[in-house]
Amino acid sequence: MRNSLPLVPRFAERFIQRFAKKRQPPTTHQVEINRHFLYILPTRHGVVFFIVLLLILFGAINYENSLGFMLAFLLGALSLLGMIYTHQNINKLNVHIGRAEPVFVGQNMSFPIILSQKTKQLRPAIQLLSQTEQVSHVHLINKTSSTSQLTCTAQHRGYSTPGQIKLFTEFPFGLFHAWSWLNLDSRCLVYPAPYSHSLPNFKTDQDAHGSTTNMKQGIDDFSGIRSYQDGDQPNHMAWKAIAKTGKLQTKLFSNETSQDIWLRWDQLDPTLDIEHRLSFLCRMVLDASNHSRNFGLDIPGTKIFPSHGLQHKQQCLKALALFGL
Amino acid sequence: MKFAINKTDLQTLSQHPLFWVILSLSLVITPHLGRFPIWSIFLIALLFSWRLLCIKRPHWLPPKWLLLIIIVFSSAGLFFHFGTLFGKTAGSVLLSILLAVKLHESHSRRDYMLLISLSFFIIITNFLFSQSIPTVIFMLCITLVLLVSMITINQNNAAIDNLTKLKLSVKMLLQALPLMLILFVLFPRISGPLWKLPEEDSSAISGLSDTMSPGNISNLIKSSSVAFRVQFKNKIPAQQNLYWRGLVLWYFDGQTWERGKQNITPEPTLLTSTNKIDYTVTLQAHQKKWLYALDIPVDIPEDVIYTRNFVLRSQHKITSLYQYHLTSSLNYKIQSDISPWEKSAGLKIPPQSNLKTLFKGQQLAQRFSQPEDIVDHVLKTFNREEFHYTLKPPLTPGANPVDQFLFETKRGFCEHYASSFTLLMRAAGIPARVVLGYQGGTINPMTKVLTVRQSEAHAWSEIWLQDRGWVRIDPTAAIAPQRIEQSLDAALDINESRPLHIQLSSSVFKNIFFYWDAIDNRWNQWVIGYDTAKQKELLSKLLNQRIIFSDIVILLLASFSLVLLITTLFIFQPWKRTRLDPVIEAYNEFCKKLSLKGITRESHEGPFDYSLRAIKTLPEHKNSILLITRLYSKLRYESSHSDNQLTQFKQLIREFNPGRTPGR
Repeated sequence: MRNSLPLVPRFAERFIQRFAKKRQPPTTHQVEINRHFLYILPTRHGVVFFIVLLLILFGAINYENSLGFMLAFLLGALSLLGMIYTHQNINKLNVHIGRAEPVFVGQNMSFPIILSQKTKQLRPAIQLLSQTEQVSHVHLINKTSSTSQLTCTAQHRGYSTPGQIKLFTEFPFGLFHAWSWLNLDSRCLVYPAPYSHSLPNFKTDQDAHGSTTNMKQGIDDFSGIRSYQDGDQPNHMAWKAIAKTGKLQTKLFSNETSQDIWLRWDQLDPTLDIEHRLSFLCRMVLDASNHSRNFGLDIPGTKIFPSHGLQHKQQCLKALALFGL
Repeated sequence: MKFAINKTDLQTLSQHPLFWVILSLSLVITPHLGRFPIWSIFLIALLFSWRLLCIKRPHWLPPKWLLLIIIVFSSAGLFFHFGTLFGKTAGSVLLSILLAVKLHESHSRRDYMLLISLSFFIIITNFLFSQSIPTVIFMLCITLVLLVSMITINQNNAAIDNLTKLKLSVKMLLQALPLMLILFVLFPRISGPLWKLPEEDSSAISGLSDTMSPGNISNLIKSSSVAFRVQFKNKIPAQQNLYWRGLVLWYFDGQTWERGKQNITPEPTLLTSTNKIDYTVTLQAHQKKWLYALDIPVDIPEDVIYTRNFVLRSQHKITSLYQYHLTSSLNYKIQSDISPWEKSAGLKIPPQSNLKTLFKGQQLAQRFSQPEDIVDHVLKTFNREEFHYTLKPPLTPGANPVDQFLFETKRGFCEHYASSFTLLMRAAGIPARVVLGYQGGTINPMTKVLTVRQSEAHAWSEIWLQDRGWVRIDPTAAIAPQRIEQSLDAALDINESRPLHIQLSSSVFKNIFFYWDAIDNRWNQWVIGYDTAKQKELLSKLLNQRIIFSDIVILLLASFSLVLLITTLFIFQPWKRTRLDPVIEAYNEFCKKLSLKGITRESHEGPFDYSLRAIKTLPEHKNSILLITRLYSKLRYESSHSDNQLTQFKQLIREFNPGRTPGR
């Protein structure tokens, strides 16, 4: 992470982060910011302002100019108050995080963040900085709560947390930077990135048809095992598996789902690595779903029987996302 | 291209940071404008309005080379105008132009913040010229605008209207004032400059100069600015005795009186001095070394130089308010013998000019044997003949101004009378010199402080008489006695137009005028004149003990922390946190009403369970209990609700009365 604090060199920021880690509250989905983990430092503008203030003070001393003293002291007092106001702008602020909708790797996860307060204090210009340095703005003006989206780029498949969020503000004068590092408990399911080119199988209806004929493999083509359900033919019982596991299992054959597509791990080029295969399968799931086909997913460890609909698609994508994790 | 501006355009413009930056810069520069060369004002105004137009049309921004040319040419122009680029005035013009140019290169928050910081610096350059009360009020207003600008720059497109920002700024300014006051009073003042001050251009400061020629005092009369103020310890002398001695002029070239080379002569000796007056003078900065004292000073502070002419001189130029304690004697007698240098200087007559006057003087010397008779005769001439006292004397150009005045125009102001009288005396063989200073002053009835303004500038003569030494003769007293006994106002002809401040002081606004004068005096004494000595004096008085430097520091730290603590408490308002949400407050009232009926809410009980229990006991109130509970959970746990619902909720609870059964 790039150093996000004003005027603080990288090594010092790392030191501050280490210090802050010890003071951080436990990771929950909601936290009230308080002074134990709320930090404040002057900004670059604050330092420039301070230098101008010193120049005014030296000028006043040199010319024995009472009004010069007055201005210097007024500005000094104002910047001090500015510091308190900046601190107050996020102090005692409730931060609540929601669940993010699943996304694909490379897309932006957006976690809903609800900022709320007990009073109607004016708290504008609050910014949220995500791990991937995306900024979102929240303004609490004449209201007790406001919602914003914390966007964060999904880096890898599986469950992803928002990580460390920085909530900061420089309101009202921009002379001070008050911030708090928050670890909020939320997660977002990240599907593998779909292979970027559409696969030929589902490109057109005709192609899709061709591919289905490929998949029609006759009654003897064993396609998998599932647990026994009422009505399953006894000659399809998977006796070997029953002997091994002690549970009733049924063998499935391709012709039972002659209109269905099976997306299989084994069908893919074995030289491809896991992530590539997942990426291909992800694309297949999306394309099949787009064409409203019945499809099933067969990957090592998981087998989802052909179906269709949004829920089915999500189930398949979830299986791909969590493969091997 | 459309130039028409509609209301929404104006509204979005007033939310733009650049608009506020430009407004701030313009306001900051405004008090300087009087000192700026005309072309620079136009240049700055042009640059400002150009940038304002470019907010919506960024492609109109000037190219870099043009900005560079503007800087080079205006620097050259300023150098030709002022002869330097680093003087007080030249520097502030240059800084203003640079800021106006920088405006065209400002596109980000960083640039705007820099401009605002530098604007604060321009404010202080104005204080080098004026430290009056209006200046401070203007400073506070500018500071407010600058604060609003800073908020606008840092609001990140939040929808805060300008009024809210202004309110916030005012609030913060008011909170900052007590802190400022503490720092102002207790911040250790270091006396003396840290580095050498650049030479002042004194042209801007009004006050007596060290020469006197026809016209320069009557010019000064128009100025209402205060020369000095006097606080008398015991009694206040009569108006006609208030001769404030400033300078003695010996040399006359026919036109102008000058001090000339001051000869170092032994200390003057006073023979007798009675009727002593104790007083304190607070002198405004006049960039000169001489000090004013009531004629004549006898007891003076240590660090003041007492010259042979009974004139006081400071060791440094008076560049800021200066206070000194004196004792003067109103009835005095100076040593009887005259030094040879004084005699020759006091009789020196410029050759080949004002011949008529010289001839007249010689005539008088022949006619009268006693110098007193000559003086008497001349003063009577002034009084009886067609001489007039006027603020607007006819011009007396040419080489013989005294001749022209005495024999032709016969209309003049105090400098004409003093000049011609002194020359006449010299011509008659009586050593004479001109004294410059002030005469009179206005006593403020509220404070008993005497204010002497530039309009009380005066010139009179002193002649040397055997056995009596130097004697003050004021020829103006002969022609216009009211000027000395009362005021300038009384002496002037009724038709003559008076300076504004004189009109004010004699009008119905008299009280306001004196009130303002009293405030101004306090301001001068306690704000502008607040220095190391004043600080020690004040603190010693407050704590009733001698104050040393470390005491001041401790006092500063202690009181600053205390005030900061109080201010912070006001910001945090911890007592407000105990105040509940109005929803909870109203609901508690509801619970209280129910508990009177014996249905007390348990601490673990949720509102819904509680309502069920209440309905069981009070089935006739089922509807209102349910409605209140439903509204409560809606108001409490849903983020969006209207104020209407809250009022309804409150009203329901107010009307809820379990003691009464509905429908009866």
